[in-house]
Amino acid sequence: MQALDGLKVLDLTGHIAGPYCTKLLADLGADVVKVERPGGDPARAMGPFRVAADGTRTSLLFLYLNTNKRSIVLDLEDADDHATALDLVRWADVVVESHRPGTLDRLGLGYDVLRSVHPDIVLTSISNFGQTGPMRDLPASELVLYATGGMMAISGQVDREPLKHGLAQGQYAGGVNAAYATLAAVTAQELGLGGSWVDVSLQEVLASELVLNEPMYAWAGGIQGRRPVTGDGLNNLMPTKDGYAVVQVTTQRSWPGFIEAVDEPALRDERFATPEGRSRNAKELDRLIAGALARLGKKEVFARATERRVLVGIAQDPGDLLGCDHLAGREYFVEVDHPGTGRLRYPGAPYRLSATPWRMSRRAPLLGEHEQEIRDQLRAAVGVKEPL
Amino acid sequence: MTRPARPEPARRPLAGLRVVDNSHIFAMPYLSAMLADLGAEVIKTEPVDRRDQTRAGNPFFVVLPENEPGERPWDRSGTFAVLNRGKRSATFDLTQEAGQDAYRALVARSDIVVENWTPRVMRRWRLDYAHLSEINPGLVMISNTGYGHSGPWADSPVQGTSLEPMTGISHFSGYPGGRPWKVGQSYPDFVATWHGLVAVLAALRHRRRTGQGQWIDLGMYQACVGMFGEALLDYQVNGELGGRIGNRDAYDGLVQGCYQARGEDRWLALTVRDDAELAALLRLLPDTLAWPSGAAPATLAEAYARHDEVDGVLSAWVAAHTLEELLSPLRAAGIPAGPVNDARDLMFDEHLVARGFYQAVEHPAETGIGRRPVITRPWRSRPELASIQAPAPALGEANEYVFRDLLGHDRDEYAVLLANRVTGRPEPVEPRPAALSLEDMLRSGRFRELDPDYRTRIAQTYR
Repeated sequence: MQALDGLKVLDLTGHIAGPYCTKLLADLGADVVKVERPGGDPARAMGPFRVAADGTRTSLLFLYLNTNKRSIVLDLEDADDHATALDLVRWADVVVESHRPGTLDRLGLGYDVLRSVHPDIVLTSISNFGQTGPMRDLPASELVLYATGGMMAISGQVDREPLKHGLAQGQYAGGVNAAYATLAAVTAQELGLGGSWVDVSLQEVLASELVLNEPMYAWAGGIQGRRPVTGDGLNNLMPTKDGYAVVQVTTQRSWPGFIEAVDEPALRDERFATPEGRSRNAKELDRLIAGALARLGKKEVFARATERRVLVGIAQDPGDLLGCDHLAGREYFVEVDHPGTGRLRYPGAPYRLSATPWRMSRRAPLLGEHEQEIRDQLRAAVGVKEPL
Repeated sequence: MTRPARPEPARRPLAGLRVVDNSHIFAMPYLSAMLADLGAEVIKTEPVDRRDQTRAGNPFFVVLPENEPGERPWDRSGTFAVLNRGKRSATFDLTQEAGQDAYRALVARSDIVVENWTPRVMRRWRLDYAHLSEINPGLVMISNTGYGHSGPWADSPVQGTSLEPMTGISHFSGYPGGRPWKVGQSYPDFVATWHGLVAVLAALRHRRRTGQGQWIDLGMYQACVGMFGEALLDYQVNGELGGRIGNRDAYDGLVQGCYQARGEDRWLALTVRDDAELAALLRLLPDTLAWPSGAAPATLAEAYARHDEVDGVLSAWVAAHTLEELLSPLRAAGIPAGPVNDARDLMFDEHLVARGFYQAVEHPAETGIGRRPVITRPWRSRPELASIQAPAPALGEANEYVFRDLLGHDRDEYAVLLANRVTGRPEPVEPRPAALSLEDMLRSGRFRELDPDYRTRIAQTYR
């Protein structure tokens, strides 16, 4: 049994944020019907790819984001397909969409239309800047969201350009937020408190991470900037023999352990014995730490610091993660077989639910793979519940 | 037959549920703040004499109104106010058996427990799920740790700065060819907040349907590794490790960058997504801008291949203008573009103000905080679904409510608990802690600038 068994989700999303939202629901047992436009979710054409010998490209991004879903192709501008979409709205508890604001209305599938055929429907709309406000219709990108959402103003080096996270963190973050907001609205729906339209803004998702930065201004007028140039050996990632590590000293108690962990007896000098001393002699301290770390491998640093209960982080790459003993111990990666790629190991449960486990039941669908099955099911379901 | 229309409800979805929030710092306090926004009664259980680091303690995590500690600085922290709005606060000394008993009694009368202690601690106090579910089988409990409660690293110490690179995301974040960078503040905490909310709301659904509670073992590490599945598949299929490419696009050949405009530390981000947008951008550039290789790129693919040169030309163009001069024509041309917003820009951003992203929250007079804007949620809906109902609590303000009204201790029993410091409220500290040095904050880079007019400006916008 899974936590979201029986929750019916009509998925009108594409790209990353929307599909990640519905994947999270599907992975917990929701029945997600993914409606793709003719030609498919644009993510099917987004990298990275596996390129077969005959040149056929399979999007690895799409495969990851669409596990546990079924696919049907509908052209929402076509009258018959539009009618099928409305049948799906009657069938569903939840509709998730990620079109540009206003598009759903234009397609005759706006919230008012959905409510007229299904009064307590939950509609979750995911967009760059939300469904209201003066910036609602502006285009955006992951980079522009990181800039306008405030994350970049505090990231990177003070004398260089502001920096964003790599890859598509804003999109993924938007997907998780949309998933919990959807479940909040589902809670209301199931308690008989009616339906809701949930309007998720990707810009606000990033701005909502600024829980220190916001009160710094609102409480004291402080405006946080990027990081100073000084090499702070105790808080920044520093080169090791084969990668990067950060070893943190957050309590006075952990200082002796730190010295042992990085194996640099010269740090025992009393000039470094107190936080004030370390701050006063930061330059020399950084030089010693840098020298010590450069003599050790990153996994060695991790092992030595962990053993001494000193906070340590190493920059792991995909190879490290796929080979990680801890992730193996948590049975984190799950093997999925897809005709476009063969067997691959996918990231699995983000958390463990003791009674209703996360589950990988189904690989990502081929385009329109479940057309017939969904139409049959719909005819049966809608026929019984609500004759057309 | 159509479903009957229902009147708009006034009851929020988690009304009637009680949450024991035995968590500290960022991830889980933020999660239970969202549960409060959704209507749950959240009781934050705090040690009598040790403060949540966002109340007091770690100076970087605390910011005080007008930088004044006052008599009870732990009731005045801005960070705490954001992360704990809408909650009650009761103090429990969990190192004493009587404190553990009272905690168990509270859990017996609650629906959800939120905690982020290291695995050993809750086991030792017999406050782990195995023990608590015996007294409350319907309990939904979430335990957040760095690595989760099982596996070889379960007991390894970790926090945001050291965890972020472990998750793999730092490998992809940083300037081209340079070291990995931490981006934002404690990113893994927020990933845990959001995934934890999905898990709690899903577990509550299962409980509504079956009456069965359960335990959510959330490891921030695992939650983060799932945020870039495509890169992990890319490595398996193509042997690509990826790496640091600054603000560039990794997989789809988009051309983008962040360029400095005229003015003080003003930056513009823009992205070109196809040939038509490239052509539109090129039309905006003055003829006087020279392309070192002779001519402008004709296609997006060519522009991506000549990214360094494109960055050079765009840098020169942007540097000659203010943000305002560039944003209108770029947006009119349909090109994704925007400013790098800092905390002040965000607070007075026309768009965010119109959407109500920050909500003015009135704090009790004795805190001296007054009315201040607080981050709501990154989604809007009808107000009956979620809203901030109350400010963050003063430390121990709900002690009587919890120990007398909920747990039923009479006056004498409560007096004994107070006398033994099983619960209680801290006395004002003497001497008062010194205010932080704003100069130090500027020097350390914690603050880039101090705005002398912030109070006036905030009062005008957030009446």
